Amino acid sequence: MAAPLTLLLIVAVTIRAVLFRSSLAELIPERVEVVSPLNAWKRVVEGLALLDLGVSPYAGDVFHETPLIIYFFHFVSDYAEIVFMVMTRLVGCVFLLQFRKQKYALEAERYPLDCLELIRTPKEMYYIPLKVAMFYLLNPFTILSCVAKSTCGLNNAVIALFILCTVKGSSLMSAIFLALATYQSIYPLTLFAPALLYLLQRLYIPVNWQRSSFWLFTTQYTFMYLGSLCVMVCLSFFLLSSWDFLSSVYGFILSVPDLTPNIGLFWYFFAEMFEHFRLFFICVFQINVFFYTIPLSIKLKEHPIFLIFMQIAIISIFKSYPTVGDIALYMAFLPAWNHLYRFLRNIFLVSVVLLACSTLFPVLWHLWIYAGSANSNFYYAITLLFNVAQILLVSDYFYAYLRREHHLTHGLYLKRKDGSEATLVLK
Amino acid sequence: MASCCSLKVLTLFSLFIVPGAVESNNIEAKAGQFFSSGHTNNWAVLVCTSRFWFNYRHVANTLSVYRSVKRLGIPDSHIVLMLADDMACNHRNPKPATVFSHKNMELNVYGDDVEVDYRGYEVTVENFLRVLTGRLPPSTPRSKRLLSDDHSNILIYLTGHGGNGFLKFQDSEEISNVELADAFEQMWTKRRYNELLFIIDTCQGASMYERFYSPNLMALASSQVGEDSLSHQPDLAIGVHLMDRYTFYLLEFLEDIHPASTANMNDLFKVCPKSQCVSTPGHRTDLFLRDPGNVLITDFFGSVRKVEITMETINLTAPMVHLAVERPVSELKTESQSYVDQLPVAEIIHQKPKQRDWHPPDGFILGLWTLILLVFFKTYGAKHLKHIF
Repeated sequence: MAAPLTLLLIVAVTIRAVLFRSSLAELIPERVEVVSPLNAWKRVVEGLALLDLGVSPYAGDVFHETPLIIYFFHFVSDYAEIVFMVMTRLVGCVFLLQFRKQKYALEAERYPLDCLELIRTPKEMYYIPLKVAMFYLLNPFTILSCVAKSTCGLNNAVIALFILCTVKGSSLMSAIFLALATYQSIYPLTLFAPALLYLLQRLYIPVNWQRSSFWLFTTQYTFMYLGSLCVMVCLSFFLLSSWDFLSSVYGFILSVPDLTPNIGLFWYFFAEMFEHFRLFFICVFQINVFFYTIPLSIKLKEHPIFLIFMQIAIISIFKSYPTVGDIALYMAFLPAWNHLYRFLRNIFLVSVVLLACSTLFPVLWHLWIYAGSANSNFYYAITLLFNVAQILLVSDYFYAYLRREHHLTHGLYLKRKDGSEATLVLK
Repeated sequence: MASCCSLKVLTLFSLFIVPGAVESNNIEAKAGQFFSSGHTNNWAVLVCTSRFWFNYRHVANTLSVYRSVKRLGIPDSHIVLMLADDMACNHRNPKPATVFSHKNMELNVYGDDVEVDYRGYEVTVENFLRVLTGRLPPSTPRSKRLLSDDHSNILIYLTGHGGNGFLKFQDSEEISNVELADAFEQMWTKRRYNELLFIIDTCQGASMYERFYSPNLMALASSQVGEDSLSHQPDLAIGVHLMDRYTFYLLEFLEDIHPASTANMNDLFKVCPKSQCVSTPGHRTDLFLRDPGNVLITDFFGSVRKVEITMETINLTAPMVHLAVERPVSELKTESQSYVDQLPVAEIIHQKPKQRDWHPPDGFILGLWTLILLVFFKTYGAKHLKHIF
């Protein structure tokens, strides 16, 4: 494992280094698909420059990063490229480490015999971590995000570390990293449920409302999480001795004042929204992100890792300022579920649409902004299509996963009561 | 016209016939008066600012005033006519090549002698202001220029859709009352007019002359701020309203004016009272130096030449003395000038990375690293401590 990993890392670093030194390094940080007002490198530099001039970086609507980022980049801003490359490699390695721990043995005894082909053999699973790392490091979206020096890479690293700690079972570290991820952008809050479920599963505590051990652990974990979140917020206060980072960071994420076009769904809608309805629709859109947590947790309470994948996907589709870096994070998980390939129904459509939309983004942007022959509707159409494709991807994997579970319990070749062949239909 | 001239000549001859020495004084006085006051030429700038078929009445308004002004003597070379749309040849016009101002098609204000100087999309705020101030590109033909001088009386007539403080041009841009006032001030500074009469027939038209501050301006508007100017009558055959009320009654008034008429501005202010126009017309004369009662309508609407025929020789005492202005001829030594070095490139290239001025507070650093260490040891156990110490 070490040799292929090293090779992969070398290739990834080479690609990024080459791009950093080429002329694309000025072009890519300007693209709206890759950077958003929340994680643009230009804004970080601006914020640090303001700080050097003695002004709070949150004065004026430029800087929307958390104070810990200020602290982190204060020292390393000259070496930003290296930092980002390290960050992405870190994520790659982290993914590698955590996927070694995929459980499958636990399930083996329960299944009928003809499902043997559904169960993954250790041989297949040996290469999954490497594939995951490869999917992340060599994904064009990640490369773009890294070359643009968007702090999305940092967010991804924190989430990856959180997943690693959860999978390893250390609840304190998992709570701390989750708190850090939530502190960066609010949406990883939804990852609290799957983390809790996984840790409970690991400790063999059944999810039963009556049992006290469940409640004990839940309160423990909640306290750790909330405590570390409070500590981080208070520490940020002490950095700049003011609370304006709260409205600049969290207020900005939640109330979406900046309507620069990006690959998300918010900007177009709110550009034409009447003021009267704005609050209502902001609430609707934001609730949409958090809304799927409870139903999905109920459905997938035995499969928390898949739930984490679903949650991350939903966050990156429905968050207020998505970028391609967020998408790269959940796409990295896809090789972990390549045993679901036989049940996926829309994979061709989804992959083609994603590819087409990714190529059309810069084209329609150029037509809209520079050539003036298109307008924002064209760009938004592609955004919509891109998000629809993502949603289709996620729901397809969900369907495939559930179908596999069904087959595992009921046998692969389904038969009706009279013995004739039956098919499974999604209602 | 001929009868008026002969009347004037007759009057003059009668003046000669009666006392002798007094006439020469009279003629001298008249001649003196001839040069010392008033205007010597008339100009008119008539602007219709709206397009589209349903704004037929604005074109009809402007063409009616054009007709009156031309009838009273101002030649086409002294009229700048700006029409934002072509109603006569509009494909919705059931009577092509006509623009009627009275219902039942009584009066066609279009004809084959209408010279439109700015047509269609050329009627913009920029062009209008350039015409007024004279700042036109050198390639502009004479027919499109307002070549007035400091003895010109100018009539400016604007019509279209307006609001409180603005007038809409072509449904896409606006001119504000401040811009207009500044344009007139530019005209005054450049001595482009002697006296100026400004008439505006739009909704809330009085707001357009509120901001004038240059001397010798008189303004009339069809409605006050907060009132709408209304149209007069629709013609069922053509299908649109043909004229606005104020200009309709103005046209009726002007039809009675002939070049020798002595009607003055006070009569003009009485045109279209509230009973006829539903809005209240307004006027402004505080910037005007003469008394409006002494100002003839034909001073602005017509081009009445003061022609005095005399058989006597008159010695004119030179009113103007040319001052020989001597410019001090001194050679100023100008130092060779160079630009200040605004971007010291040479310094920047070799600059060291700048010293950071901001450092995080010590308490923060302490707290952060303590926490990190605590977490580290909690996770990995205290046994590692002995490896460090």
